[in-house]
Amino acid sequence: MLEIKNLHARIAEDGTEIIRGLNLTVKAGEVAAIMGPNGSGKSTLSYILSGREDYEVTEGEILYNGENILELEASERAAKGIFLAFQYPVEIPGVATMQFLKVAMNEQRKYRGEDELTTPEFMRRVKEAAAELKIAPEMLRRPLNVGFSGGEKKRAEILQMALLEPKLCVLDETDSGLDIDALKIVADGVNALRSPDRAVIVITHYQRLLDYIVPDTVHVLYKGQVIKSGDKTLAHELEANGYADIIEAAA
Amino acid sequence: MNMQQAIKMTAAETALVDAYTAQIGDLPGDGSVLSVRDTLVHELKTAGLPTRRVESWHYTDLRTLLRAVPAADPSAFADRVDALVTGATVLSVRNGHADVKGNAPEGVTIRSYTDSLLDGSAAAGLAVLGSDDAIGRINGGLVRGGLELSIADGTELEDPLEIQLVQSLGQAHTRFPVSFGANTKATVIERHLSTNSAESLISSVSDIVVGEGADITWIVLQQQGAADTHLGQIRFDLAKDAKLHLFLINAGGKLVRQEIHGKTSGEGADFKLRGINLLGGESHTDVTFTLGHNVPHTTSTEIIRNVVFDRAKGVFQGKILVAKDAQKTDAKMACNTLLLSDDADLSAKPELEIFADDVQCGHGATVADIDHTQLFYLMARGIPENKARGMLVNAFVAEIVEELDDEPLVEALESVISTWLEKHA
Amino acid sequence: MPAVQETIDQVRQIDVDQYKYGFETTIEVEKAPKGLSEDIIRFISAKKSEPEWMLEWRLDAYRRWLTMEEPTWARVNYPKIDFNDIYYYAAPKGTTGPKSLDEVDPELLKVYEKLGIPLKEQEMLAGVQKSKIAVDAVFDSVSVVTTFKEELKKAGVIFMSISEAIREYPDLVKKYLGSVVPPTDNYYATLNCAVFTDGSFVYVPKGVRCPMELSTYFRINEKNTGQFERTLIIAEEGAYVSYLEGCTAPQRDENQLHAAVVELVALDEAEIKYSTVQNWYPGDKHGKGGIYNFVTKRGDCRGKNSKISWTQVETGSAITWKYPSCILRGDGSRGEFYSIAVSNGHQQIDSGTKMIHLGKNTSSRIVSKGIAAGVSENTYRGQVSAHRKAENARNFTQCDSLLIGDKCGAHTVPYIEAKNSTAQFEHEATTSKISEDQLFYCLQRGIPTEAAIALIVNGFVKEVIQELPMEFAVEAQKLIGISLEGSVG
Repeated sequence: MLEIKNLHARIAEDGTEIIRGLNLTVKAGEVAAIMGPNGSGKSTLSYILSGREDYEVTEGEILYNGENILELEASERAAKGIFLAFQYPVEIPGVATMQFLKVAMNEQRKYRGEDELTTPEFMRRVKEAAAELKIAPEMLRRPLNVGFSGGEKKRAEILQMALLEPKLCVLDETDSGLDIDALKIVADGVNALRSPDRAVIVITHYQRLLDYIVPDTVHVLYKGQVIKSGDKTLAHELEANGYADIIEAAA
Repeated sequence: MNMQQAIKMTAAETALVDAYTAQIGDLPGDGSVLSVRDTLVHELKTAGLPTRRVESWHYTDLRTLLRAVPAADPSAFADRVDALVTGATVLSVRNGHADVKGNAPEGVTIRSYTDSLLDGSAAAGLAVLGSDDAIGRINGGLVRGGLELSIADGTELEDPLEIQLVQSLGQAHTRFPVSFGANTKATVIERHLSTNSAESLISSVSDIVVGEGADITWIVLQQQGAADTHLGQIRFDLAKDAKLHLFLINAGGKLVRQEIHGKTSGEGADFKLRGINLLGGESHTDVTFTLGHNVPHTTSTEIIRNVVFDRAKGVFQGKILVAKDAQKTDAKMACNTLLLSDDADLSAKPELEIFADDVQCGHGATVADIDHTQLFYLMARGIPENKARGMLVNAFVAEIVEELDDEPLVEALESVISTWLEKHA
Repeated sequence: MPAVQETIDQVRQIDVDQYKYGFETTIEVEKAPKGLSEDIIRFISAKKSEPEWMLEWRLDAYRRWLTMEEPTWARVNYPKIDFNDIYYYAAPKGTTGPKSLDEVDPELLKVYEKLGIPLKEQEMLAGVQKSKIAVDAVFDSVSVVTTFKEELKKAGVIFMSISEAIREYPDLVKKYLGSVVPPTDNYYATLNCAVFTDGSFVYVPKGVRCPMELSTYFRINEKNTGQFERTLIIAEEGAYVSYLEGCTAPQRDENQLHAAVVELVALDEAEIKYSTVQNWYPGDKHGKGGIYNFVTKRGDCRGKNSKISWTQVETGSAITWKYPSCILRGDGSRGEFYSIAVSNGHQQIDSGTKMIHLGKNTSSRIVSKGIAAGVSENTYRGQVSAHRKAENARNFTQCDSLLIGDKCGAHTVPYIEAKNSTAQFEHEATTSKISEDQLFYCLQRGIPTEAAIALIVNGFVKEVIQELPMEFAVEAQKLIGISLEGSVG
């Protein structure tokens, strides 16, 4: 589903190179965890996948279902099924969550040549998904992410993911700032979306989230490269011994 | 600067003075009213319209910007339009002529301002606010009509009152002294419209007195034509525990100066200003605000949102004065601007003038383009860039409207905003 | 509010009378006759042995000045100045210009010693002073000595009085004088062009980092004498210089005028850091006497990626009218303005800055801290503008006022002008008083009121103090304490 080949990228503004020859393949149905110390390029990778303009790809390519997506705008990538759950969901005062969901769902449908949802159908879907994630309808009337607690924000992200039905989900440090109950709700939401035609990339610093969202593969990112890949036992190894050994071995 | 020195009058100054001379036998009021008018027009003649050298007109050089003044046309006709929200009582003013017939809601007394000019009771109110009060001067010299409203103590109006000013062409100069009795509750919509694209100039002064414990929402909705000049002024005075929520939307006009000058006279008074300026084309729009916190324990917040497209120029001047002994004043002012075209222009001057030490005062001003993080977030959810930008601009101003606790009114104003944005974005 | 009341009382007793630089020195002087005319300007020019072009420049300015009107927009009130009741030139007898240290009148050296100004090179070399500071000492209308000239010369840095520079480096002066603040700029600047007497000239050549702090110390001594300082600093490509000025005057009943012009030019990649500790006599507690300080300071970031930073600590003067500004002309240039303005007694301050963004990717930062006590008036007035071509202009402004007592006024007047849609301006202002909670907390921890106020005020101004060269930060902090607390320093 996703194939990243020799990717090099830097911050557009100051030219700092962050990703330095990264290779990664994620198959449909797979849950891949990307782990790494602070500053290894984890969040940058998520932004590059989703098309943030602050980064410049200088070399390499990203194939999504065989198509090079580097030239696509962020909204086009989203419509094609790439979803990024933000580490810090953005507050947008003045835009009600409900209104936002409707516009996003319909714009994606429009791009794919599908009919827009009728209002009752839209309402039905939102209500169902919100109930699953224990999100109060009152929250959806508030402006997007404004005044939401950390847990509420993350749940709202997962709600969006459920409604937009993406093919490739990128969860950027979704566990940060969550207590254990919130973590379980979020993990249940993600697990419910696991299916043979959908891939999930879980970016995390800690093993904790991976107890709830069990990965098929684990990749260690360091200085903008994947330096080691393995199965879920690799995550446990990291938890026990830290990154130092692996970094040394790779050096 | 010697204000007495004769100046060489511009075309607009000449036209205003000529308008006065031409109508002198016909303008309502004599004796004291006429003597005030004479003084005001004499001042206009000697000092001229204000230039950028007058501090309060620094960014709106009226002498240069006001190139011509359309002649008054007494025979011109203008149509009424539907009320902004259903159920509102419409008080119609067409081309400066107020219609006092019709049924006033219970507790509301309506009188023609022309009558007050005729019997001389309006004379005292015609005085200018200061030597730089050009709007007061033009309006006081030439005012012919308007409405005087008084709302009896304890009256609570369920539906809004809409003062509907429709202008088709020419000039109009109107005044609206409105006094809200103690513990009244009401919403007033002051709506300025034009029915066609002909050029017009209007000046309008609303003089609002809010009685003890009253809770008033006053909305100024300015939607004049793209060739029009609008010189508006709101004066207000708040008694003990009085609340005034003033809402200002500018969505029209070529040359607009909207002044708001108020003071708190009783402890516990609370003032809120919310302003939305939608600026496009070649327009010049200036909102100038002063508020005197004159007694202790009064509060105010002001939020202004400017959206500037095309070659438009926006100005916001806000001044909060805290008088000596006005301790425990709490005043916050913010002016935020989105500049959306390379030729758009905005100047802001948020001032604090403070003479009491136990106060909480602050102001903030920002000028920026659309927030890129927000834009990316929307795009990452599949919303194309243009649409995402539109949503963010709309949200930037809609946020303010939602503070109004009146569903139909919020909807009506949101539709004014989105219609304007669709036309300009 | 017992604590607060106590504070107010204490501040009320502030003795502006304890201005410790208020002594007068009796030195034989040579003066021009009182008043202003073309003859007086010829007199000044002749005294300085100026070339003809300089005289013409002065006379042109004078003729223009006669047609100008005194500005009235600032929030300061003072009786009309009689410009013919001032001496425009006063110099210690026998001084026609700076000499070497040994030739300077010992009486004069004593003055500087009393003021705590290090003039003795050998002492500094001997390590009495922590670091080397070169000083240009201006006494009334003349520079009496400039230290470390030779050592600086070795590094290629020119540091001398402007009078000398006009004679020795006429081409450099001609090229830059009036190029930042044109002779027509404003009433006081134009007056300065006509009658300026002395000040400093600094030239740092390409790629040179000035090896020591430069500083000029201004002293007004004579009665009824105006001081018209003129300073010009040029940093060539890649050069760096840090410059500091200080000033004091004796205690007198009459008002004296100080009208200065300072011009800075920074070329490509150059940086100029200009700090001021202004401590002119502020007048007595009844508002009698004190210096009228009307100053035009402007820096031109002419080259790309150049930087000019103004830091000012304003504690003196009866009237301060001063707006050190930056013209951000070069792409990528940066302007900074850090200010502490303390007003007490009857002082009136109207001060701030202008950041004029002309080039692409220019940025500016303004941090202003105003403290008003007594019956003083303290106004911040600042302008930030981005012109049509100033793509990606950035400004951040923070302007805070602190009121001590309820008889003073604090005012904020920012002008924000954006003509480019890529500009990002952020402006924040607050006004508050020392909170009772803060004060109580200090008292509870055993800190007396006076010290607590000093502590809180120091916290309030810290951000700006940090911008001063280390040697002066301590002094400035003390000065603020003295001007506020009434405790003799």
